[in-house]
Amino acid sequence: MHWTIDHSSTQRLQDQVSAAVVQGLRSGELALDEQLPPAAELAAALSVDRNTVLAAYRQLRDAGILEFRRGRGARIASAPDARDLAPVRDAVRATIELARNYGLDSSDVVTLIKEMS
Amino acid sequence: MSTTAYTGRATNWPSLVITGILLVPLLGFAVASSPFDNRVALVGVLALLVALAAIVTSADVRTTCGPQGVSIHWGTVGWPRTRYALEDIADVSVVVVGWWSVSYGFWWTPTRTLCTVRTGPALRLRLRSGRQVTVSVPDPQQAATVLDRARGIDAPSA
Repeated sequence: MHWTIDHSSTQRLQDQVSAAVVQGLRSGELALDEQLPPAAELAAALSVDRNTVLAAYRQLRDAGILEFRRGRGARIASAPDARDLAPVRDAVRATIELARNYGLDSSDVVTLIKEMS
Repeated sequence: MSTTAYTGRATNWPSLVITGILLVPLLGFAVASSPFDNRVALVGVLALLVALAAIVTSADVRTTCGPQGVSIHWGTVGWPRTRYALEDIADVSVVVVGWWSVSYGFWWTPTRTLCTVRTGPALRLRLRSGRQVTVSVPDPQQAATVLDRARGIDAPSA
């Protein structure tokens, strides 16, 4: 499993960790019932605090993606449904329409998003 | 500043299967022995302890690669474990492990350390001390890429 964390990003580190897990599921790097690395080991590898990884794992558990089993660590319980992206797609589509009204194209929108994230 | 890491887990199925196969007749012998005496009970308890130790310490191997180097943890409690700092690693490559050289556990010799649980591609580190470390990971190419990037090398060695 490949993890990338941007320490200079304004996005919270725990959100980046949980986003990496979701991305791993979408790309097939992670499978159902697969065990995630212990929080301490992942935190050391990513140079973040252990509590940051634990917060990300809890976030994923609350979303139903992870489950914690005593003695078996954090395991993938379910894959995020592709339909979950529908609200995001709608928002992006609306943003692109709005940007066009201001004379901006999609690449300008991408630049703006990168500047803000 | 972004940090990239690779984590992987490889299950030591042969060790688990062999432990199970050896345990069943031993326990069967202990249970079926008549009259039931203390020596038989001792054999049963010892067999259970050995099986438990094997499962706890060699059920799988977890590898973490990143800017901190490579850390390898064995078993369900993460012990035995070892860590190689990035500055101690001279070279990283992907090698193919043949059936004759799989260690199925943690093996140490004066020049090599083996943490392999299956045949096929594995990650190999050559340390500045001259020692070679070979470890089974699910995607050794990706692990090598992460380590090479952390060491400031663009193209991983194949």
